[in-house]
Amino acid sequence: MPDIAIRVDHLVKDFGGRFRARTRAVDDLSFSVTRGTIFGLLGPNGAGKTTTLRVLTTLVRPTSGDARVMGFDVVRQPTDVRCNIVVVIQEHAAELLLSVRDNLLTFARFYGQSGAAIRRCADRVMDEFGLMPEANRKAQDLSGGFRRRIQVAKVFMVDTPVVFLDEFSTGMDPILKRTVMDRLRRETARGRTIVLTTQVLSEAEDLCDDILIIDKGRQVARGDLNALKLLTARICEVTVTFDTAPGNIDAVLSAFQPISVRTSQNTVHITLKDEEARALELAMALAAHHRVLRLEINGASLEDIFIELTQKGAPS
Amino acid sequence: MSALTAVMTREAKIRATNLLFIFWDLLYPLGYLLVFGVGINASLGFSSGDAAVDYNGFFLAGVLSMASFGIASNTSWSFFLDRDNGIFYEMLTYPMSRSEYLVGKVLFNVLIGVLQGLITVLLAAILLGVRLRPAGLPLLALGMTVGTAGWFFFYAIFALLIRRNDAFNTVNSICYFIFLFASSVFYPLDPLPAAYRTIAYANPITWQVDLLRYATVGLGDPARVALESGAFVVFTLAAFGAAVLALRQQE
Repeated sequence: MPDIAIRVDHLVKDFGGRFRARTRAVDDLSFSVTRGTIFGLLGPNGAGKTTTLRVLTTLVRPTSGDARVMGFDVVRQPTDVRCNIVVVIQEHAAELLLSVRDNLLTFARFYGQSGAAIRRCADRVMDEFGLMPEANRKAQDLSGGFRRRIQVAKVFMVDTPVVFLDEFSTGMDPILKRTVMDRLRRETARGRTIVLTTQVLSEAEDLCDDILIIDKGRQVARGDLNALKLLTARICEVTVTFDTAPGNIDAVLSAFQPISVRTSQNTVHITLKDEEARALELAMALAAHHRVLRLEINGASLEDIFIELTQKGAPS
Repeated sequence: MSALTAVMTREAKIRATNLLFIFWDLLYPLGYLLVFGVGINASLGFSSGDAAVDYNGFFLAGVLSMASFGIASNTSWSFFLDRDNGIFYEMLTYPMSRSEYLVGKVLFNVLIGVLQGLITVLLAAILLGVRLRPAGLPLLALGMTVGTAGWFFFYAIFALLIRRNDAFNTVNSICYFIFLFASSVFYPLDPLPAAYRTIAYANPITWQVDLLRYATVGLGDPARVALESGAFVVFTLAAFGAAVLALRQQE
């Protein structure tokens, strides 16, 4: 078995053409994903994440370049690729006219499963996802959140080596999300490879072994969380809680040229691209104006890194 | 389980667990025959040139082709439903080729078409006394098979290429109106004005109706029916090619 589950070389995807303006959604993208890892594909809206995923899952053909999943070419061997993947697309996709149980069974049949074994598997998965009380209700009678559960639960009905999840946690409650994330980690321990796109950066921070940040279809940064933090080593996050709402502190803040400032009631979250000593100076300057109840200085979160890299370009 | 069987099982599950579909698929054409056919037969009378064939016998083939047409139209609507809720795109990532997906869908619908045809013919004979031609039954099954497949592929092209539901509904209504009324579904074409007759003879549903009419009650010129049947097979193959092409373009 290859160590590399996915290999993408100089991938380009253009939309439009003859009668419409041509748009380049993916622009010369190259990366590979190691087997048994959770790979996060991140980027702002319109960065090309979903298009890249759609190429890898054989939904769209690339304009140029190569993409292989488990060694199979997505253009020349699409059915072989499909035999090795399971996909949760961005929309809440469910068989509306079928019951929850039939949704799971129907899905598994496409992967060659049948008989009592898939019924047992469906029961176990429904139990795990809290779907058992709704087992015989049609998906069209359930809320969007439940439909999303059905969609994600299907991933665990089959044992394909690669799983693609496009914004999988949309519409999920935090408890279920935690369950799914734990389950995904267990799947990678069994050798499955998970590729996910998400806008929830804390999710990627918690889950991903390897992260690729793209913007305008091109790679902006690549590596694990620690490697990405090195790219933006001088970013830190200052959280200050005052005894009352802080009033006008713009003049104090502007002297430090923060990357972002977010205020919620008595607390101000400031992201600085500077040395930590500067962060302490900022805290002292703020304390001179208002009484500070709590002060916290942290290194950059994935969100800070993401904003820094995608809004202002990769650091040189 | 093969991909084709999985597609057919999915279609069967959807149909079998929704009572309205069962009614629509199996009883609707018979209802048309009983209400519309009996009404026309009783109030207007009818002469087919064959004393043994009344309007019920004449209209039976029209009802059968309407059944093929209706199944195709309903199934293509299901493309929209599937696409609207995203399952269509998810299915395209399942381990099967796009042709298998299309062929699986059509096989199931052909099965329904043939079953529907047999039920309609049987009940028409029992309830309305339509005198059937037993030798024509294999031809009837063939006509329903190719007919349902042809109309399914034809409708699938529009269902796959048109993105907006309102636009698809408009096309659907126009197709219903033109194909069903400018054809030999409801009345014989010979007494009609020449221009109208030309349009009707160029209409693929006329080709299917004429074959089914010959198969059920023996009305029609065999040479003409053979020519029209050949034309319908060409129509079906062309529609299949175009539908596969449209499915491959789904992005």
